[in-house]
Amino acid sequence: MRYLLAISIGITAVSAYLAGQAGPSQRQAIDNAAATRGRAVYAQYCINCHGSNVKGGENGPDLIRSVVVLRDRLGADIGPAMKKLDGHPKDLTQAQVLDLSHFLHQRIEATSSNRNTNQPPNVLTGNVDAGKTYFNGAGKCSSCHSPTGDLAGIGTRLTPINLQQRFLFPTVARGGKTTEVTVTPSGGKAITGTLVRIDDFNVSLRDASGEYQTFRRGTNVKVDVRDPLAAHHELLDHYTDTDMHNIVRYLESLK
Amino acid sequence: MKTTALFIIAIVIGLLLLNAALLGQAPLDPAKLLQLPTDMWPTYNGDYSGRHFSPLTKINSSNVSSLTLAWVYRANPGNGPAGGGGATSAQIKGTPLQINGVMYLTIPDHVWAVDARSGRELWHFSWRSKGGWHIGNRGAAVLRDTLYVETPDCNLIALNIKDGKERWHKEICDLEQFYYGSVAPTIVKNHVIVGVSGDDLDIPGYVESHDPETGELQWRWYTHPNPGDPEAKTWPSVEAMMHGGGMTWGPSTYDPELNLYYFGTGNPQPVIAGRGRVGDNLYTESIVALNPDTGKLAWYFQASPHDTHDWDAIEIPILFDGEINGVRRKLLAQASRNGWFFVLDRTNGKNIVSTEFVKTNWARGVDAKGQPIPDPKKEPQFDGALVSPNQGGGVNWPPPSFSPDTGLFYVNASRAFSVYYFYDTEDKPEGWGGNDRGGWSEGMLEAIDYKTGKVKWSHKWEGSGGIRSGLLSTAGNLLFAGDNASNLIAFNPKDGSILWHAGMHASLSNTPITYELDGTQYLVVGAGDTIYTFAMLAK
Repeated sequence: MRYLLAISIGITAVSAYLAGQAGPSQRQAIDNAAATRGRAVYAQYCINCHGSNVKGGENGPDLIRSVVVLRDRLGADIGPAMKKLDGHPKDLTQAQVLDLSHFLHQRIEATSSNRNTNQPPNVLTGNVDAGKTYFNGAGKCSSCHSPTGDLAGIGTRLTPINLQQRFLFPTVARGGKTTEVTVTPSGGKAITGTLVRIDDFNVSLRDASGEYQTFRRGTNVKVDVRDPLAAHHELLDHYTDTDMHNIVRYLESLK
Repeated sequence: MKTTALFIIAIVIGLLLLNAALLGQAPLDPAKLLQLPTDMWPTYNGDYSGRHFSPLTKINSSNVSSLTLAWVYRANPGNGPAGGGGATSAQIKGTPLQINGVMYLTIPDHVWAVDARSGRELWHFSWRSKGGWHIGNRGAAVLRDTLYVETPDCNLIALNIKDGKERWHKEICDLEQFYYGSVAPTIVKNHVIVGVSGDDLDIPGYVESHDPETGELQWRWYTHPNPGDPEAKTWPSVEAMMHGGGMTWGPSTYDPELNLYYFGTGNPQPVIAGRGRVGDNLYTESIVALNPDTGKLAWYFQASPHDTHDWDAIEIPILFDGEINGVRRKLLAQASRNGWFFVLDRTNGKNIVSTEFVKTNWARGVDAKGQPIPDPKKEPQFDGALVSPNQGGGVNWPPPSFSPDTGLFYVNASRAFSVYYFYDTEDKPEGWGGNDRGGWSEGMLEAIDYKTGKVKWSHKWEGSGGIRSGLLSTAGNLLFAGDNASNLIAFNPKDGSILWHAGMHASLSNTPITYELDGTQYLVVGAGDTIYTFAMLAK
């Protein structure tokens, strides 16, 4: 009885955690220790037909896509199903069925969330020398950046995948830069400052003294925004994937 | 005496009808579904054509600057989610309906009826959820005195529009397989047609039709061929095909003359790692036409053969008639998430125009059918492929608009880049098996000439980032859109010049609608959890 109560609490707890996620809110809380034991059960009784990755084989269906498994809670469905189906073990204990259920649900949960990964892919597939050539040549990167200046040691500060993302898609905030804007009202003098906000109707800046100012835009108000990252954005149309990989490899070499 | 009695009876009937109208108890006459929207906005799209166009002219380009705020209504779902299900987003993404003076608006698990003249709440329905993605609800449908809405936990609910009481509910998908409901149903004759959502696991998409009175299933059409069909050869195996995705989470349109029902289908599964589904993967990411009485397929056109970028082709297939090479044609146009604009002959699905409405880098041209040919090099790579557009696409779910007055197709477009990776290196990936990361984008409001696919004018939005607002054009020579800075803006649809704007507390999160009541034209938009209604009120 206490065991069932604990299971119930577990299901409730994971339901709260999963609120708003895909699938039913009443999900099975994965007991990782039980799932590990379940893996051994699977290896002994199931793997030959359903495959080493649970995705099925010539003699057995994919169990991640199995509606019976998806609907199962704590072995309540897969236990009876195995008893009915030919070629399935009939003498598994209740504990083994429960462990197997945890293992299969662990695989389902992993699959349903595999758009996210904790193991970034290896993006160091380029060529260092080609990356250096592009950096100093076609990419014109060296006109703003220096491997011994702002990029010195960049390969030790950022992971390879972050290097790839940062050079492709730098942000003003992350680069410690600001977007400057100069507003020239009709008949007035030009005011330059850091751009705070802009839309089709107003532009706001913080001037050198720290004062926040907003100007209503109009045909007589000249607004000149200078995006320090404009060159990066323009390059997106020109990088080949080979260029991208070579640059990452070169930047990573700057230890 | 007899005349007097008849006169009194007529007055009583008249007062009863007026009272019903004022209280919003008058049912929706199905004939209204076949008309242009004037005193009502009776469907998600306003009418069957999907144009998001109003023939009203009281608010027009010469007086739009006189618009003032008429009323505001904040949708408050209460303390947390309804029941024990998923968290409820209070963001209004659905297009409201307005029927006989009552507005019906939705968020996941919630429906409200609101007086369309004053913003006063009439009733609030709350559903006790059992889960599912609560990412958004696109809206409801009404037939006579019943409102139909989907819930995230896979139910189609029928409510009495008088009081919001439930009449019945039917399960339309299997929550255990990670389906969920978000789509605005469509009423066609005696059919309530619904689509389904969900792409976490490898499950097939479908649309199905229910009886409006009983909710019983009438037919279901899966977004994959039947085994043995010629189109089944676009999959490597029956198993891959039967688990190949193609969700139906977008709006639909209908041509009563042709009796054809049109909609787009979503991404194939597995989403990113496509190694296990070699082929075009029909009927995913396609525009399809069905017979709404039988659910039988009439034709299809695939916007993205073998997609691996999550570019659902669920954007509205807009219907209009137009001249192509001097010949009047029944047309269908879609600005698709993959960045391409298509014009088809809607009688048979034959392609007329295929062109990019934003610059992309994933296609090597078009084939003989007018379908883009994907570049294998721009499929997700283990070390990354730089792709444009990004996963959000050149457009997404917010509705575009077509004005028969200007002949222009309006779309809030994005030009975006990201890097696509696959993570799952097995021979049979499942789920997503990869993703895109990062990105840079810019947004622009575009007016596209349907005859050529060329952009006639473009308004670049300030700053970076795409825009997620729907559009409305009107016969008053107006085009309404939202920007990322919480402004509602009226454009001149002919040249893209700005005529009026109003600041709100949040950016426009749904699609503007308009209707006329008591001689006053109202303009209604949703921004976050709030409905803003504008009008020119005499006093």
